[in-house]
Amino acid sequence: MTSLLQRVRSKMSIFAHRKARGMLDGEYGSVFRGRSLDFDDLRAYIPGDEVRDIDWKASARHGSPLIKRYVAVRRQTLMLIADTGRNMAAESRDGEPKKDIAVMALGVMGYLAHRHGDVVGLVCGDAHGSRTLPAKAGVAHLERLLQEVDSGTSLGSGPSRLQEQLHHVARTVKGRKLLFVVTDELAEDPGLEQLLRRLRAQHEILWLTIRDAELAGGGAADSFSVADASPLLDRIARSPAVAAAYATATAERESGRHAMLRSVGISEGHVANSHDVMTELFALLERHRRAG
Amino acid sequence: MELMYWWILPVAAAAAAGAGWLVFRKGNRENARRRPVANADRLTALPEYQAALRRYRRWLGVAALAASALAASAAIAVARPVELTTIRPVQHNRDIVLCLDASGSMSSADARVVEVFTELAADFDGERIGLTIFDSSAVQVFPLTDDYSYVQEQLTMAKDAFNGEAGTSGFLDGTWNGRGSSLIGDGLASCVESFPAADGTAHDGPPRDESPRSRSVVLATDNFLSGDPIFTLDQAGDLAQERDVRVYALNPGDFDYGTAAGQPGALLRAAAEATGGAYYPLDSPDAVAGIVRDVQATEAAAIQGAPRAVVSDRPDLPLTVALLSGFVLAGASWRLRP
Repeated sequence: MTSLLQRVRSKMSIFAHRKARGMLDGEYGSVFRGRSLDFDDLRAYIPGDEVRDIDWKASARHGSPLIKRYVAVRRQTLMLIADTGRNMAAESRDGEPKKDIAVMALGVMGYLAHRHGDVVGLVCGDAHGSRTLPAKAGVAHLERLLQEVDSGTSLGSGPSRLQEQLHHVARTVKGRKLLFVVTDELAEDPGLEQLLRRLRAQHEILWLTIRDAELAGGGAADSFSVADASPLLDRIARSPAVAAAYATATAERESGRHAMLRSVGISEGHVANSHDVMTELFALLERHRRAG
Repeated sequence: MELMYWWILPVAAAAAAGAGWLVFRKGNRENARRRPVANADRLTALPEYQAALRRYRRWLGVAALAASALAASAAIAVARPVELTTIRPVQHNRDIVLCLDASGSMSSADARVVEVFTELAADFDGERIGLTIFDSSAVQVFPLTDDYSYVQEQLTMAKDAFNGEAGTSGFLDGTWNGRGSSLIGDGLASCVESFPAADGTAHDGPPRDESPRSRSVVLATDNFLSGDPIFTLDQAGDLAQERDVRVYALNPGDFDYGTAAGQPGALLRAAAEATGGAYYPLDSPDAVAGIVRDVQATEAAAIQGAPRAVVSDRPDLPLTVALLSGFVLAGASWRLRP
């Protein structure tokens, strides 16, 4: 069995050719790193580090930028929240199974956390229930989390319902955590918004949306619904009137979700295939840091 | 309406059921080549999609209906729908000689007889007809023939002559040679003689193997004899009987008193009935048409063939239905094209 984490790391090293991998580390560090007030030592600046952490006097003496490090930095907990319902076994907009993209995104985020010495946990499940894998350190544990998501998602899984997992987190997770939510294009609804507001009060939340397949218009191909295995008539889906109506409905849903997440204070990223995961995560972290 | 190959229908039904089973058997395996998509209800719940789906289903229903109608009607057409009827074929092998008394008192009745035969000749098919007129001597206007255009032409001329129209007097030439008038026995004998001999010796060449033709004479006369005929009416009747010729006598002037056997009408009746024919006294010339048709019917009935079962194919209805449903199916398929 090829290791899922291996795949994630090779993807990250390919990304490193284009952007310094350390930059991503720096982004993660500045977003998630808990700060204490007890200064420990200085280390060299890595691109992506928070500018306000630069010790300007020390840098001036040293000749190159130095970053202040603090002791007794709290060990952060990253909670990966994944939907393993059958919706995630469907195709994404670019034709990959959404599950693969989710595993890639979770892996990248988990690995970044691991490199910062943070512990990583997982809450996943479908409409029938949620499972929690407690937060631990180590690549073996991370690999187990990814395997859990990968093998737990199939066309035979229960229907997707992310609210179930979010409720589970609200009920069971104590303390302030970093939540990384990977799901597909959810629709706005008041219950969800209230739930997110409740979670946001307690946790830091990053939200990654995996694009759903185009159902109407020119991109529509022979497809069947994962909900009930019924085929969709692509000759109808391709008709201009239906395509236009679908495009309108999609745009409304998009803007509704954006408005909801923005009002709650959650940064959202979108990804349509696993190649874009690194870039999008980088942009997402950047956006979240700016939003502060 | 019956089906000749009725066993085609269960075979066709079984074939249709088999085809249907093959097509609809693997409804789920179809999904193997489709891609799974999530949140399909976001598309299918759109009113536009629902409307298009309803339209699509309607056309699908039309196509299914047309296809099954096509299959059913084609199967029925293949099973060969036939109509079984029993007919008694009328054989058109009659010979009719019109034997008309050309004396002045008969002209209106003669004109009617000729007129009626002019009409009848239009429908003749295989019958032969001849015309002989007589007064004191008999003249054969035309012998037995099936050249109907010629017959029509001659009968029209005869009608004009009997109606006394100008320029037709020559038609009756030769019927009067002064030896008397209405020499009926001679006239009838001439008419009977104009049939070919029953043994076929009158034919040139080898005798033909053909069914015997019925022979009849339509004799229009008032039987007022004046003069001295060679043949008496009785002798002529015997000759007709011998030659197997039936005589149908039409008498426009039946002025018999009482029922005595010596009256002219009674004599004519006796002669006609002796040959197997019939005798019709005429009240007016207009009654001729009915009588002649009556005679024709009697003659036809007398020589009807044996009853035969006739099988006639009736594929027109199923084939029409098949054609129409084919058109409908083509239209629906065009609407349903991917």
